[in-house]
Amino acid sequence: MNAFGNLIDDSSVTQAWLRAGASPAPWPESVCCRLEDFPCEPDLLADLILSPGEQQHWRSMRGVEKRRHEWLLGRCVAKEAVRSLLERKLDLHLSPTGIEIVPDPYGRPIVSVAPPFRAATVRQRLQPSISIAHSHGSAVALAVLDPEARVGIDLESLTHRREDFETIAFSPDERSLLAALPLDLRQEWALRMWCAKEAVGKALGRGLSAGLLAFHITRAGTAGGLIEMELRDGALAQCPQLRGKFFSVYTARESNFVFSAIIYQQGAVRMRPSRQEILDYLLQKMGELTQDWDYPDPVRPESLLFTELGFESLDAVVLCTAIQEHYQTPMPFAELLADIGQQRRDLSLEELADFVHTHLGGPAGAAPARRLQ
Amino acid sequence: MARMTESEVFDKFAQIVAKSLRIDALQIAPDTHLTDLGAESLDLIEITMETETQFHIFLPDKSILETAVEVFGPGILEKDGHLTEDGKRFLLHRMPEADAQAFEGDVAVKDLQHYFLRVGTWVRMIQDLAQYTPAECESCGGPMVASMGFRMKCAKCGQEITLRSGEEINREWVREYYDKVYRPQAEAPVSATTVQ
Repeated sequence: MNAFGNLIDDSSVTQAWLRAGASPAPWPESVCCRLEDFPCEPDLLADLILSPGEQQHWRSMRGVEKRRHEWLLGRCVAKEAVRSLLERKLDLHLSPTGIEIVPDPYGRPIVSVAPPFRAATVRQRLQPSISIAHSHGSAVALAVLDPEARVGIDLESLTHRREDFETIAFSPDERSLLAALPLDLRQEWALRMWCAKEAVGKALGRGLSAGLLAFHITRAGTAGGLIEMELRDGALAQCPQLRGKFFSVYTARESNFVFSAIIYQQGAVRMRPSRQEILDYLLQKMGELTQDWDYPDPVRPESLLFTELGFESLDAVVLCTAIQEHYQTPMPFAELLADIGQQRRDLSLEELADFVHTHLGGPAGAAPARRLQ
Repeated sequence: MARMTESEVFDKFAQIVAKSLRIDALQIAPDTHLTDLGAESLDLIEITMETETQFHIFLPDKSILETAVEVFGPGILEKDGHLTEDGKRFLLHRMPEADAQAFEGDVAVKDLQHYFLRVGTWVRMIQDLAQYTPAECESCGGPMVASMGFRMKCAKCGQEITLRSGEEINREWVREYYDKVYRPQAEAPVSATTVQ
């Protein structure tokens, strides 16, 4: 039985990403469900979909109605996402009451599926990964089959937001990403960036407990809605194995809501390149750029760009543009080149590699003090 | 600014919460939890900002437990998502306003969120941090007023100071606890009991 049938706006979020042009290609098969209103009276819905343990929680919940109702909406979409996923992928037909969602000690929702009728034929460990979010009376959930995957989803409403919340939520670097955007996009993108942090916090299972600045946004691509992030101090203390890794979070806007989601599987995370890898790339790129320049000696890491390799400023700009495109990261090359010019000195390929390495994340240093202007 | 009493801090904080969540301040008591009032994550950010502005303080951006785990190292205060006995002692020492009974038996980290978001806990935290905001200028004794960002300025001589961050103050508190309370306790009883 499907107690909520057509009222669930199945996968609207992933469809929005498709429309926005973000590539969901590296994503494993997932189901995303969203619900904006109760399909029936809340207590009746609770009876229909909650397991006995969840019903007990529902009845003992304190607080305002909004909180209880959003919790129930969240359970509703989460169960529907898991139910629909298992039906599609494994042809399993479960009732919502047979899908129990219990938080782990850190609060991450863990799915347990009651042994279904055909359980004997299923050899897989049946524990889909799930993430749930609710805000302003709307709930959304994302489920994938892989029990090892970490998923995170968030949604927030664009209405009633203090515009200056970004001074507390973002570092100066992150705020300059925002400042580079057209004025009419800033409010929405500030919220997208916030949602992206929440989604990564949820995917890692500890939320934002390590502090907002421990989730550092390195890139915000307005074309595809992709936000790239790395972890810093407090979050790295929680997950040291994730040092130097980048997380790509999809974000989208639908009417007054902003969504974010990440599905993180061990192999799918891009490693930050090592200094040596950057140097190798630079040497190779130099080879391409200067194919017919007839150097007496091969280009070496310590070769100086201007005096030895005969670079002119335009050549340097071409090289720097190529580097930024290759690593998909804007870096302050203009300032570097201006410094070099002012100091009347040259730049070796090694130094350039160090510069690139630093701006692709570098070793995690102390986090900058929060908004001490 | 004269030092505020606990009830003055409570009243002012309740106003901030009520305004942000668009509710009646009468709904708020020291034992109320912000999430029970319907506060979402961004509401908490808003409440944090308004509290900082109105009380001239710089709130920490992570919980005291999170800071303590960083200082103590993993596995001492919290293990696999549950508080250890040392962790419970630490939090009770830190939050005298908390209900000691609540820390009996198994306490998961997710349940702590509930204590950290208690109005009474915020009020105590605001009072603690407000001690670090000088009311008078160190050099001339004139009254201090808010300046840009996290700075205060003497209204008389114009001298500026930067407020200390709550995070830094918390870290110092945790280090002192570690040296003066935790270490002596952790080292002493072992030899005493083995001798007996």
